[in-house]
Amino acid sequence: MSGTLIAQIVTSGLVTGLIYMLIALGVTLLFGIMRVVNFVHGELVMLSAFAVYFLGAEAGLPFWLALTIAIAGSAGVGVACQYLLFKRLHYEILNCFIVGIGASFAIRSASWAIFGPEPIAIPPVFPGVLKLGGVFIAKQRLFAAVLCIALAILLYLFLHFTRPGKAMRAVEQDSEAALLMGIKPESVYVTAFIISAGLAAVGGAMLGSLFGIDPEMGGEPLLKSFIIVQLGGMGSIAGTVIAGLFIGLSDSITGTLLGGELAFIIDFAILMIFLIVRPRGLFGYDV
Amino acid sequence: MSNPRLAIAGLVALLALLPLVMRDAYFLHVAVVVAINVIMAVSMWLLGITGLISFGQAGFMFIGAMTTALLTKLSGWPFWAAMPLSAVMAGLISAPVGRLSLRVKGVYFFLVTLAFGQVVSGVFAYFQDPFGGWYGIRDIPPPQPAWLFTTLNKVPFYYLGLVLVLLTCLIIYRVSRSWFGMVLWSIRENDLLATSAGIDVPRCKLVAFIVSAFFAGLAGSVYAAYFGYISPLVFTFEYSVNVLVYIVVGGFGSIAGPITGAVVLTLVPELFRVTGKYQMLAFGLILVFSMLLMPNGIVGAIAGAWQRLVARKGGS
Repeated sequence: MSGTLIAQIVTSGLVTGLIYMLIALGVTLLFGIMRVVNFVHGELVMLSAFAVYFLGAEAGLPFWLALTIAIAGSAGVGVACQYLLFKRLHYEILNCFIVGIGASFAIRSASWAIFGPEPIAIPPVFPGVLKLGGVFIAKQRLFAAVLCIALAILLYLFLHFTRPGKAMRAVEQDSEAALLMGIKPESVYVTAFIISAGLAAVGGAMLGSLFGIDPEMGGEPLLKSFIIVQLGGMGSIAGTVIAGLFIGLSDSITGTLLGGELAFIIDFAILMIFLIVRPRGLFGYDV
Repeated sequence: MSNPRLAIAGLVALLALLPLVMRDAYFLHVAVVVAINVIMAVSMWLLGITGLISFGQAGFMFIGAMTTALLTKLSGWPFWAAMPLSAVMAGLISAPVGRLSLRVKGVYFFLVTLAFGQVVSGVFAYFQDPFGGWYGIRDIPPPQPAWLFTTLNKVPFYYLGLVLVLLTCLIIYRVSRSWFGMVLWSIRENDLLATSAGIDVPRCKLVAFIVSAFFAGLAGSVYAAYFGYISPLVFTFEYSVNVLVYIVVGGFGSIAGPITGAVVLTLVPELFRVTGKYQMLAFGLILVFSMLLMPNGIVGAIAGAWQRLVARKGGS
């Protein structure tokens, strides 16, 4: 195998891994703070991709405006899920998981009825291909990678250097002690849902511009982000970033060598082996 | 309701005599589907007692179905030998899978079993040679004797399904009421306390996992022989969720829950002819609303109403 081919595989794997990482960050954020595994997350990815497509490509709005509206809409749906479903079940982990599956199925099949099976794609913001030292990379991929990295850094800065971010980490570490310090858990939860849904929306827009949109598109990133979050450790940002890049690379390598269908099986094998060695993931804690 | 045993015996007799009156092929077909779904629901419920849901249940069903399909079609085995072996095969594969996945608890376990189910269909879809790939395997021979189990006559399949359902329910009911079953309930309440009482919690969970995979394999075997066609598009994660919906809607509290849920939720979509994607829409909504409004399921709601009625009578 030539050096350029390896570089090609690695770059494309890293870009996909970064998008998965962005989606998985939303999952791990909610889990860390309120111990909820949000199964609707994948549907937020899908709905936002459709929103960006219809607002941008159909209605002719500029991409950034379309993306902003999609983020707002996704955040609205996320908070609605929180109030209508998870809050009523008192954030109980098993019940929330089950109710999330129900909501996810309902949304997905309703989308089939509304949007139909026609494959569509968000037109790239930066069309064309860039040549970097013998490696070809679509400008849109580069854009997606930069956006994902920027958002991950922003999330880190937010969690560590702003008041609401610090409040979030306080609730994550000990919600009762945080309550005693005057932090309202409920308002922290709302912020977390908004951020998580916003990350899903950006992930959806990027996936939709690189791989196309259909009502099932939320399923695979959700499963991948479950694997990523478990590898990295539930609730750990650093673990999610590392595991996301790792899964993206491994997918790209197995996909090129053995075909795309085996990639998921390899991921699962990695997860299984990892669970034997370290059940809580890279940086996680016991639940 | 003075004697529940008598009521159950009467119900069984009624079910056994039903084909004498109802010879409608469509009715018998639905009855066989109900039987398969009840076996699946009850098998998932046994592990569910401990508070763990295996989202890979459809995967074990697929393993059972695939074993039956390969043995009867390629190796020419009789169905009656392939069926028990299929269940055993699912149980054998579940042992290492359970050993690993039970290292993690709660949601982690959900996610691992979910991924396992995807892997089973992924493997069967990838390897075309014995497993048929995405097209699946068709023309799986029906059970012997061939003159009895024809495609036109569904009565023998009805009795096959009935006998297997009764056996499965009886065994799982006995298990859930045995000492071992009590251990499973205690794990649900507090597994640390159960451990401190000297119970080998991981081992008990593993046994429940294997038993539930065994019966899922059995259901898969019957599915393969009845429909004569299996593919990765049948034994999906969505099907595992359907089975979970049966239990949630019926109620977790007793074995009557999964049975009721599976029967009602198989019959209702058939009555309204809801199919395809809209069926998933309906199931999703039913799951959400029954979680929010009926946390103890149909059986729990009826039992609660009955108790309130009795209490009011006693008070007045």
